[in-house]
Amino acid sequence: MKRSYIVLSVLVALSMLLAACGAPATEAPAATESPAVEAPAATEAPAATEAPAELEGTLKIWSFTNDTWVIATAFKELHPKVNIEFTMIPMNGGEFQTKVRAAAGTADAPDVVALEAAFVREWVEADGLLADQSDLLPLSQELKSYQAGVDVGTYEGVTKAYTFESTPGAFFYRRSIAKECLGTDDPTQVQAMVSDMTKFVEIAEKIKNCGTKDYYMVGTAGELSSPFFTTREQPWVVDGALVIDPKVVEYVHFAKMMRDNGYESGAGQWSEGWFAGMNDTLKDANGTPKKVFSYFLPTWGLPYVLINNAKAKDGSSDTSGDWAMVKGPMSYQWGGTWIGALEGSKQAALAKEFVKFSCLDEEFLTKLAQGYYTNAKLKEIDPTVPDSLVFNPGDFVSSQVVVEKIIPSFDGSSAAQFLGGQNPYGAFAEMAPNVSGRLIQGTDDAIQRALGDPLGAYLAGTMTEAEMWAAFLTAVGNENPDLVLPEPPVK
Amino acid sequence: MKLKKIPTGYLFIAPFIIGFLVFGIYPVLNTIGLSFTNTTLMSKTSEFIGLDNFKRLFADAVFIKAVGNTWLIWSLNFIPQIGFALLLSVMFTNARLNIKAKGIWRAVFYLPNLMMPAAVTALFGAIFSYYGPANQLLVRAGFLSEALRFFDSVAFARGMVVFINWWTWFGQTMIIVMAGMTSIPLPLYEAAMVDGASAWQMFTKITLPLLKPILVFIFVTALTGGMQMFDIPYLLTDGRGAPESSIQTSVLLMFLKFNSSKGHIGAASSVGVLIFIMTTVCALGIFYFLRDKEMDDAKPAKKSFFKKNTEESQS
Repeated sequence: MKRSYIVLSVLVALSMLLAACGAPATEAPAATESPAVEAPAATEAPAATEAPAELEGTLKIWSFTNDTWVIATAFKELHPKVNIEFTMIPMNGGEFQTKVRAAAGTADAPDVVALEAAFVREWVEADGLLADQSDLLPLSQELKSYQAGVDVGTYEGVTKAYTFESTPGAFFYRRSIAKECLGTDDPTQVQAMVSDMTKFVEIAEKIKNCGTKDYYMVGTAGELSSPFFTTREQPWVVDGALVIDPKVVEYVHFAKMMRDNGYESGAGQWSEGWFAGMNDTLKDANGTPKKVFSYFLPTWGLPYVLINNAKAKDGSSDTSGDWAMVKGPMSYQWGGTWIGALEGSKQAALAKEFVKFSCLDEEFLTKLAQGYYTNAKLKEIDPTVPDSLVFNPGDFVSSQVVVEKIIPSFDGSSAAQFLGGQNPYGAFAEMAPNVSGRLIQGTDDAIQRALGDPLGAYLAGTMTEAEMWAAFLTAVGNENPDLVLPEPPVK
Repeated sequence: MKLKKIPTGYLFIAPFIIGFLVFGIYPVLNTIGLSFTNTTLMSKTSEFIGLDNFKRLFADAVFIKAVGNTWLIWSLNFIPQIGFALLLSVMFTNARLNIKAKGIWRAVFYLPNLMMPAAVTALFGAIFSYYGPANQLLVRAGFLSEALRFFDSVAFARGMVVFINWWTWFGQTMIIVMAGMTSIPLPLYEAAMVDGASAWQMFTKITLPLLKPILVFIFVTALTGGMQMFDIPYLLTDGRGAPESSIQTSVLLMFLKFNSSKGHIGAASSVGVLIFIMTTVCALGIFYFLRDKEMDDAKPAKKSFFKKNTEESQS
């Protein structure tokens, strides 16, 4: 199921990009909100041109996301003599991974690749695919890059990929429902109410029995898989054997409890009903309106998923301004894009410079986060970029130094207004340092996806728990023939 | 007379032959080669491991189940598909019924085939989702007391794949069967009518036997298509054959092995090779069982005649 989430999230992101280009008027205020950007950029520009030797050559970049295209264009602004060949390959059905894997080692291989959270680790762990970029680590420490992002890009002490963003996850809730059912909508107090799983379940019960009893705690318990998996003790694979951590068992029981007690709406993640809950248009089969109290979403989920869906398509309802965000019961992270250079690239130096620029350049990350790269700006650098290419302000960047510097600039931003005045950048900044990337492994995605189907059958009651674990182990073994499988937790 | 050899002919067939060798033969041979190795996309080296991939497939029951799923879904779809196609074709070609606006009917039945399976699947998936219109309709009309999770049901998920397959393909099959039926000479039916044959007798004694080559064609193409069933089961649920792997077809299983974190193309190839063998054997079987028996009967006679001749010449 995870795979289809990713596909859908890409679709959502793309549709968001298209929607954004169709409505330039809404972007204009965002751009004017951060006038501070232009000024430092202008003053720091001479420093940039003082760079020792001017870079030239052709850099081949392959990516599954337009973000990298923006970065490449920004790179060109700084190094006009560099010729960039950007290739966009969709991630759907593993197309991107397959093409890059097939090209690696041949003359057609790209110099720089973008890697998504679902498969970046496999690349970092593979021998001889990505070039060692460990020498950039001091720079990363200087910028206080969030550890989770660095952890993901590092394998056996060698750092091969960096990221320009950090993707801590948050718990977004409806202020109006919080006021009605919990007596307050204040983030600090709500956080105290959901600070651990026991309290979370108590609140779920409260929400369910509140008012007209038409409220659900969450859209689906599946949203909590990331939080549960991030807080495991052990990774999925230890010494070539699969480990079913107690947290995984706990998650399965939690999901069953949420389903059986009616704490979740029952709409699958990324389904129509799940989105409808964000804008109060969710109706059950009898036509009774239902409301969803909260959503677990990471940084990118705020602009691309929540804000994007808070207005009903027919304009009948709009929940903008009625949201707030807190850390929730567990710290977690979800998604992200890493940049790496392929081993054996003829443009290794240039590729390294690109990785450095995209993920470890204070000035660039500042500009990126503050919405400096509008379509007009990108067109100015390269007139051939499409009208849809833009990098909206508010992406949560990977450097703590940059983040802390720019938090105030998001006070009163459109995203802050969406959250009833809460500064999302500030809120994410509190969560990001707590996230750990130490458990992330290349096989995570395949293993976690294998849990989806058996878990669904267990929740539906068509499989017992013992049958579910057996089915899970069979599915994992089927796709990971080298793994040693443990005894199931329940027999 | 000395024949002049003109090589131009080779030039004309070259594009096809080259294309076939590169895109047809090479991938098949390469897949067979890969199936004996433990190649993954993420490692540079790979080893020859003999039949280990195949042994594994038969040992872990997932493959057997996937093959079973494929056959079950295919036969449940193919039988009504050919049945409907035959029935509709007979109705449309029957002079006595003389159905009006045949062209429109044909177009209507063929229409689902023009839509992308992906789009059709997404549509049906949305209609039968938990908050979807099917639940709303059934609950409000009083058929259900509360909304159902349709795709939690093995029978429903399989039925849905069967239905979408049938719905998109029966029109296409009907067109081919009709083409076959209209090519049967009318005088045969006229003669049968004069002799007092019933519609059923005409169907079984004239239409079916003369339609055999067309039926063999449909059978074999449907079988190859059915054994490669992928897009509908892939898109209908979680992309892994949920619920309970009930719509995990053999090709979907191959894709899962390929799409795993390391990209186990060696193991995936072994699934491909087995699908290839299975399809080939079945197709040859169809040719054998539906062969023209009369011509077959004639063969031994020919042989013996030939033999006799040679014997005579020897003597």
